[in-house]
Amino acid sequence: MARPSGPAKGDRPDLLSAGLFIGLGALGLYMGRGLESGTLAQMGPGFLPRAVCLLLVAVGLAVGIPALRRPAQAIEAIRLRPLLVITAAVVGFAYAATPLGFVLASLWLILAGSLADPGGRWRQVLPLAAGLTLFGALVFIYGLGVQVPLWPF
Amino acid sequence: MTFVDLLMLGFSEAITPANLAFCLLGALLGTLIGVLPGIGPTATIAVLLPITFFLPPLAGIIMLAGIYYGAQYGGSTTAVLVNLPGEASAVVTTLDGYQMARQGRAGAALAVAALGSFFAGTVATFAIALAGPTLSRFALNFGPAEYVSLMVFGLLAATILASGPVLKAIGMILIGLLLGMVGTDQATGAERLTFGAIELFDGIDFIVIAIGIFGFSEIIANLERTGSEGVKLAPLSRLWPTRQDFRDSWGAVLRGTGLGTLLGLLPGGGATLASFSAYSLEKKVSKHPERFGTGVVEGVAAPEAANNAAAQSSFIPLLTLGIPSNNMMAMMLSAFMIHGITPGPTVLTNQPEIFWGLVASMWIGNLLLVVINLPMIGLWVNLLTVPYRLLYPAILLFCCIGVYSMSNRIFDVVLAAGFGLLGYAFRKAKCEPGPLLLGFVLGPLLESNLRRTLLITQGDPTIFVERPISLAMLVATVLLLALMILPSFRRTREEAFQEEEV
Repeated sequence: MARPSGPAKGDRPDLLSAGLFIGLGALGLYMGRGLESGTLAQMGPGFLPRAVCLLLVAVGLAVGIPALRRPAQAIEAIRLRPLLVITAAVVGFAYAATPLGFVLASLWLILAGSLADPGGRWRQVLPLAAGLTLFGALVFIYGLGVQVPLWPF
Repeated sequence: MTFVDLLMLGFSEAITPANLAFCLLGALLGTLIGVLPGIGPTATIAVLLPITFFLPPLAGIIMLAGIYYGAQYGGSTTAVLVNLPGEASAVVTTLDGYQMARQGRAGAALAVAALGSFFAGTVATFAIALAGPTLSRFALNFGPAEYVSLMVFGLLAATILASGPVLKAIGMILIGLLLGMVGTDQATGAERLTFGAIELFDGIDFIVIAIGIFGFSEIIANLERTGSEGVKLAPLSRLWPTRQDFRDSWGAVLRGTGLGTLLGLLPGGGATLASFSAYSLEKKVSKHPERFGTGVVEGVAAPEAANNAAAQSSFIPLLTLGIPSNNMMAMMLSAFMIHGITPGPTVLTNQPEIFWGLVASMWIGNLLLVVINLPMIGLWVNLLTVPYRLLYPAILLFCCIGVYSMSNRIFDVVLAAGFGLLGYAFRKAKCEPGPLLLGFVLGPLLESNLRRTLLITQGDPTIFVERPISLAMLVATVLLLALMILPSFRRTREEAFQEEEV
């Protein structure tokens, strides 16, 4: 729908893709700057990474430049709550698993992770956390033999 | 050994109590996640991949395969009953299936879907059994040059047949290739793109990427949407279709099966593409196309048969050539690799029990699925009333244990969380993450074959056009790219995927 007063330009999702492609390509080029390219017959370790990164930057430009001229399209709303809560819960689990044991790490993961959904009720979340932790301990640690201590001591 | 002997070998492998149990478990899990919206087969298999490490190779692969085709059955249930496709491949089933349910014919729709899927599964199983040995004998002649061309063709064709803009998909493949290069270079031993982190010297594990991009970011994206509550259900009517339903649907099942089996073979093909194409084919050949969308039984039978046939025939390129054609098959490839088996022509000759056991288990699994789905349908449907907020903590826990159990490293879990964020960014940028996985698993293969080819020819790239098979692949690649530039083809492709955007 074109608005009369100069519609804004730029297809935001495509611009974001272009940014990701060009950014990752440039990062790869920078990280691989010391690698030798070699010759076609004797390819060095840097030959393909460099080729792929250059292609990636080219694709990024090809996606981004036409997107600038297209009518504006917004990125779907970003809700920080699930994003931050889930990431924090997972990272917390990673650091807790070995020193604190599976039981505490799993309880943390589920209790903290439940905060991602605003509709959570403690009366449901607490038994869920206990049940899943028990299930996980039985299946993964006793059943499949995953090497994680159960308790901190 | 003759064909019958090999098939008997397969059945004797598949029918052992353990393998039968894992086949049933896979089919049950597949139905479960097919019914539940918000959890797809890709995420489920990503979560279960590390667990298959603890199982014998055949049992693990049988289970994962069961999840994939089981999800095709389960996805149709919710599509018909609550107008909610459990899987992308069941989107078209909602068009006529839900209308049938509103007219009180839900039972007939579900039964036709299940029986059609069973028929399609049987045909596709035989297609694998017949095509497997032939194709792999052909593939034994492949040198490194042929493999390079085949992979380039496979990767590019996958972007064109998959949904979404082609350029973005190519970008995602390139990112996948790049991620596949992280770690120690196989040929020279140099460290590449590791940021100096020792943990990355062995490269990034497939499971870390798969769980990050498909597990974590899917949970985050699902939580962003409102409506994490369960769904209200319509009552279920009598199950058995009328004689008229059978008469109307058998032709559609046959056409859907044929089309699905063929489309599953193509790179980037698979269940979703097959169901969409089968629906539009059915509309074209029908005598009363205007009635589609109002609850005609052909509109359920054809796509359901097609998606199941394609889910199974997409195993053919993986098992015979070692080349995965879509992201599900990329998962299966890494499931083989976990056990040190490289799928491809040699598996058929050296470990025939793996190939034939899997083929036989697929047929058994399809039979189990009919039993699981038809009489027990009420049970599955009740699962829909479980709200997502009670489900996702369980998925989260399985994801975390899965990644952690690979090598008991904090690093892997944190890296997976990082890929979760990256996957989230891809979602916001409307980039399909599937091609990234394909690029990631094919990257190392592509690089080593490319190097080997050019080493043999001393840097002369003309070998790719001198060898006939390789030339044919490259010509096909160029033709596909040329087609993409033609505006009329582009329009048809966009139309074909239009309904998928829902």
